[in-house]
Amino acid sequence: MSDVVEKTLTALPSLLSLDSQPGSAKLSSNSKLGNLIRGITELTSKHEEEKLIQHELSSIKEQVSSPNTTMRQMRELMVRAVYCEMLGYEASFSYIHAIKLAQQGNVLEKRVGYLAVSLFLNENHELLLLLVNTVLKDLQSTNLIEVCMALTVVCQIFPKDMIPAILPIVEEKLNHPKEIIRRKAVLALHKFYLIAPNQVQHIHNKFRKALCDKDPGVMTASLHIYLQLIQENAEAYKDLTASFVTILKQVVGGKLPMDFNYHSVPAPWLQIQLLRILSLLGKNDQRTSEVMYEVLDESLRRAEMNHNITYAILYECVKCVYTIHPKSELLEKAATCIGNFVLSPKINLKYLGDSTDFSHRGRCDDSTSTNIMT
Amino acid sequence: MIKFVLMVNQQGQTRLSRYYEPVELSRRAALEADAVRCCLSRKKDQCSFVEYKDFKLVYRQYAALIIVVGVSDGENELSIYELIHNFVEVLDKHFSRVIMFNLDSIHIILDEMIQNGHIVETNKNRILAPLTAINKMVEG
Repeated sequence: MSDVVEKTLTALPSLLSLDSQPGSAKLSSNSKLGNLIRGITELTSKHEEEKLIQHELSSIKEQVSSPNTTMRQMRELMVRAVYCEMLGYEASFSYIHAIKLAQQGNVLEKRVGYLAVSLFLNENHELLLLLVNTVLKDLQSTNLIEVCMALTVVCQIFPKDMIPAILPIVEEKLNHPKEIIRRKAVLALHKFYLIAPNQVQHIHNKFRKALCDKDPGVMTASLHIYLQLIQENAEAYKDLTASFVTILKQVVGGKLPMDFNYHSVPAPWLQIQLLRILSLLGKNDQRTSEVMYEVLDESLRRAEMNHNITYAILYECVKCVYTIHPKSELLEKAATCIGNFVLSPKINLKYLGDSTDFSHRGRCDDSTSTNIMT
Repeated sequence: MIKFVLMVNQQGQTRLSRYYEPVELSRRAALEADAVRCCLSRKKDQCSFVEYKDFKLVYRQYAALIIVVGVSDGENELSIYELIHNFVEVLDKHFSRVIMFNLDSIHIILDEMIQNGHIVETNKNRILAPLTAINKMVEG
């Protein structure tokens, strides 16, 4: 861990409680939350906490109902209401004001309004319908920041009955010149698929387009949909195996821009996602498995670095090797890898090694079984 | 999938919670207290992954702050362990430039990384871009 990170990590707890923040006196809009958190931290009994929060909630309730409260103040009130609900004290009187904040606030206030709505409401809440108009308006805004936040909230919470009203606009965003908008539009479609799969049946070709998008972020977003689709019906997507293999090859080969790296490892969570997809496609299918042996071999080889995230990739790789149609050289390498995990002094690695399912042992040839046994 | 993300202090007080599947408000405090108790009672030589009810907890401690992520079975625990660290590094990148703290900013950052219980963005620049753009627009 870098020194800077260490410094911040020790500072983090105080950041979160605003205890000794230099310059916090300037932050009048946040000191009320800071005071509240500090107050809660100092209490020792549940009873005292209840008293303090109820007092806070009455104060918030009074202020949100006042016509003199500005959107700026409303934003701060909503964050305090979020905090109270987070501790388990219901603040349903504030829900409607969160929606209003999203409707009427400036960019930051709007974002906090949307955030509060996503934290307060559930999928079936009646107030959610009120959000739809605001979302529709923001989706068509010339301000891309507003489009982004509307798409973000759609990904989080949206009434499924209103999907037809919003789907055409979201589909349109799939062609937007900015990658962040295309990416969030794909994630919105993922959400729609999760809550109402039949509503997005007709646009599967658009998922393919996203998979082939020149921006890696948009492509990655499509993988969430594909993982879901393939889990439900792997057969229908076997023809995409070569595409996933190619993508993984490119990622492992360092073809992505540097900022996709995490501690010098290229897009590790993306690699893991791809390995999961390949596992599902290659299972019980020799022909499909053969397409992926080379890239799996390379992934096993490349992961030489001594970092947790590399081990996480290796672990996923090994799981894939064990799941698909067996290839002895790969199984041997995987077994060595697991052996190293099990013997590692690092307790987290040992856990992974121990938890690997060896029920596939029966499929190995004799030489590999011996490797695993020792 | 990721079921929830918690940030708690050593006394077990919740500093941030985000749920990715519906959990009633009344049940959350108990769930959080119990999950945190489980993690805090672990010894130094035990691993960072705890089997809890019918799912798992991945936790990581940073000074007096503990981050706990609930994940379904079959999730790659080590990748979540590192996701937590990535999240902390993103917070570090953002808050080292900005003096003020907002509970809302941390949520906004988390929203860019995890949606519907899935990891959707891990590129630090891309995670921070929307919040940076919002703050710039407000300042200008």
